[in-house]
Order: sequence, then structure tokens, then C-alpha cells
Amino acid sequence: MKVYVIDNGGQWTHREWRVLKYLKVDTKILPNTTPFEEIGDVDALVLSGGSPSIASEAGRMGNNGLYLDKAPYPILGICAGMQFLCTHFGGTMGPAARPEFGKATLHVDSDGDIFNGLPREFTVWQSHNDEVKTLSEDFEVLAHTDSCRIEAVKHRKRPIYGLQFHPEVENTDHGYDIFSNFLKVVEQWNK
Amino acid sequence: MFDAKEFVEEKIEEIKAAIPGRAVIACSGGVDSTVAAAIVSKAIGDRLLTVYVDTGFMRKGESATVSKIFDNLHLNYRIIDASEEFFSALKGITEPEQKRKIIGAGFIRVFEREAKAFHSEYLVQGTIAPDWIESGDKLRDTIKSHHNVGGLPEDMKLKLVEPLRDLYKDEVRKVARHLDVEVSEKQPFPGPALAIRVIGEPTRENVEIVREACAIVEEELEAAAKRGEMERPWQYFAVLLPVQSVGVQGDRRAYGRTIAVRAVESIDGMSAAYSRIPHDVLEKISLRITSEMKANVNRVVYDITHKPPATIEWE
Repeated sequence: MKVYVIDNGGQWTHREWRVLKYLKVDTKILPNTTPFEEIGDVDALVLSGGSPSIASEAGRMGNNGLYLDKAPYPILGICAGMQFLCTHFGGTMGPAARPEFGKATLHVDSDGDIFNGLPREFTVWQSHNDEVKTLSEDFEVLAHTDSCRIEAVKHRKRPIYGLQFHPEVENTDHGYDIFSNFLKVVEQWNK
Repeated sequence: MFDAKEFVEEKIEEIKAAIPGRAVIACSGGVDSTVAAAIVSKAIGDRLLTVYVDTGFMRKGESATVSKIFDNLHLNYRIIDASEEFFSALKGITEPEQKRKIIGAGFIRVFEREAKAFHSEYLVQGTIAPDWIESGDKLRDTIKSHHNVGGLPEDMKLKLVEPLRDLYKDEVRKVARHLDVEVSEKQPFPGPALAIRVIGEPTRENVEIVREACAIVEEELEAAAKRGEMERPWQYFAVLLPVQSVGVQGDRRAYGRTIAVRAVESIDGMSAAYSRIPHDVLEKISLRITSEMKANVNRVVYDITHKPPATIEWE
């Protein structure tokens, strides 16, 4: 399986690459300015986090919008990657009422999919100033924390997922399981 | 997961091809640079010169132990005392990024001299992933300029070879164990060393204070781990704060300085949680610092911040 990581300038982009590599996936980090056609025959993309505030610096998110419009395969957006994809499909975002850094407790609202087989509550690691405020009708919320209502989302018609927290860092419990579950979605989709 | 044996074999071949002549390696005796030295010396033998720079910011006893480490690895090495150079370059400097850049450039000037004398145009560094990630690039914000990446001077002419660039600390330790490098379990220590554990100007006096405090923190935590009272943290040290407070010592007023104790749990340094050190152990550290260092320090605080939002070091 081939899953590339789109680099939006996150501190943990390279961690996403490492987790995929450990899960025996053929992976590579590509800058977010890479033309869609040059990405080639991948099975899925991960849109990394990054320092841009999507509300005011969306330009720094490069071609993420093109990938979301054109990709026939699954996409997982993390942190800024998730915020971008939610707004791209009509949601809104802004400064978080209560920004989260470091440890938080995730409450899973809808198991199955990427939370398949995981507890309803576990520790995750955060690093975000902004948050998704509203979602378009195409999306449903899969998880929340006490400080942030929208921590995980899923597109109702396409295999597009978003996570506000960071499954790729070691301090997050079940991070590898979440990636494995996403890879199962990818496998199913490409069948 | 990660195959250390395969990694070493691959890197030896890569290095043989990348370094046709001689090379110097910047080696602090820490896990990363010592592992890099071990791999590169396997690839090119005595065409590698290992250089250790005593910046004057090293921990207690550090410079005395490196030659033993290098001897055990049968490295061809030189130990350079450059402390005068470093202290004078940092005179009056308090801003953390400026400190890191001056130290980075200071290292390179020493390596350039050594490389010239050794007729080499290659510089090997034990750079690992967090070093270049946190140093920033076109896409990524600079969190801090690591001396070996963001601290490199623009006019540097040496060609860089960095075999560990894609690894994190846990993977480097696996390589170290595979190669039987004795420093495999050593705690991480930043290149700018104690200069960035003094908040404010790293004068000889300030560095001496934080050196002593770091030694006490290390001794007490390692002893407590040995007694089975706790696990040894991933990284643990003292920071000298530019804050004075009022105290009372033997019925006399004291107006002394503050030491922050920091200890964290991590796997790769990219995220970390503060260590839940037992209060009895914290108390021992506090008592020792405020008694043994009473002339300078009369207050000890414990840092309970995760990364993020903090980083592990204070600068």
C-alpha cells in the first residue's frame, strides 16, 4: 500500500511518515506545493498539521484544496489538515475558545471506522490554537474533548476523515491503532 | 518496526560512497554523535577524525569521560579546549536564539580548523530528526535553532554528512545497542549545553551554578531510580532562572537565586509529559541544592509543563 504525507509544515509531519513506515506502508513526505498529477498512483493521502492559521493564512496550505477536489482515494487530515478540509467543504473555523496543548481526554461519540475496537475514552496529545466551529451537512462528528466539540470528523459520502488531535505522537494512546484503522478503510475503498 | 542491523549496513555503504577522502566528525560523547562516529568509522576507518569540543558549558566531569568512550570505540580523536573562545563570544548575550547561533558558528569555526589540518572537506554530524524539524525551514516555523542545523553559519564550506537525519532518539538508541556503544542509555543533552540552561548571560559564574545544580539533580534522580523509588526519567536537569527571592538562612536574611528542576518522560523528544517524581525525591533535591549551594540559591521550583506547549529545555 502506498500512502503519502502532504507536508503543511507541522512539527509532527515526519512522525506521520514514521508511523506509516512502521506499519509497513510505502510512504514519502511531499511539500504541499506538489501538483496533484505529480503525486502519482497512491492509495491515500495524509494532510499534515502545520503552523498556518487556516482562517488568515490559507495560502500557506498550498494545493490541499486541489487534492481534496481531485483525489479519488481516501484522505486523512490532521490538525491544520482537518481544519482546512472542513472549511473547504463549507464548514467554518476560528480561534479556539479553549486552545489545547499537550494532554487531553478524547471522548469517542461514534465508534467503528477509524475508532474501531478502541475505548470510548482515552488520552490524546494536542497542539492547536484554532478549531472547527461548524461543519457542512456532508460531515459528522466522531469525537470530542471537554474543551473542543469537534475533534474527529468523517465525510458522509467520500472516504475523507479529519482529526484535530495528533495520533502520530507517542504520547497519544492508540495512535497506531487509529492509523491501522484508516489503512483498513483505504484497503476496503481500493478493493 | 525498525531494524538497526539493516540500517547500519545500509548507512555504511552510503557513507563509503559519500566520503571518498577524509572527514571530521563533531562528537560530544552523547548518544547521537557517538553512534554516528561508530558507523562512519566502520565505513572509512582512520580516514575519520573525531573531534570533541570543550565549550566550557559541559556538565560536571563530562570532558574527562569522553576520551574513555572514544578509546573503547577505537576512534582516532582530538579533544579541543575552546572554552575561552565560547565564553568571550557569548559575553553580554541573553537572547536564546542568539546564543544558539553564536554557539553553532563557534563549533563550525573549530571544525573548520581541524578539518583543514586533517586535509578534509567533509563534516559528519549526528543530526537527528528533531534537530532539523525544530530548526524550521521554508514551510516550518523555527521553534529553536539547533546548533547543528539552524546554528550553522551561512559561509560554512565543509560538506555535511548526516547519517542519522531521519531517526529519532529511540531509534538511535537501538542502533547504539546493536553496535554495543556504551552511551546508548545516556540522557539527551543539547549541543549548546549549559549555556541554554542559564536564562540570561552564560557567564562562567552562572554556568558553574547550573553545572552544580544539574549534577545534584542527576545524582539524586539516578540514586532514586536505583533504589527502585521511581523510573529514571527520559531527561532531567536544572535551569538557573534570572529571578531572586527573599529567604531566611540561619536567622539571616537571604536574597538568592532560583533553580528550576525539569524532568520529562518521552520516547522521541517531539512530545513529552513532565515526570511524576515522588515528593520525597524532589524534597531531597531541594534540600541538597539549597544547602550545598546556599551562597547562590535559596529557592527551588519544579516545572510541571508538558511539551507542547513547553519544550523540554527552557531555551
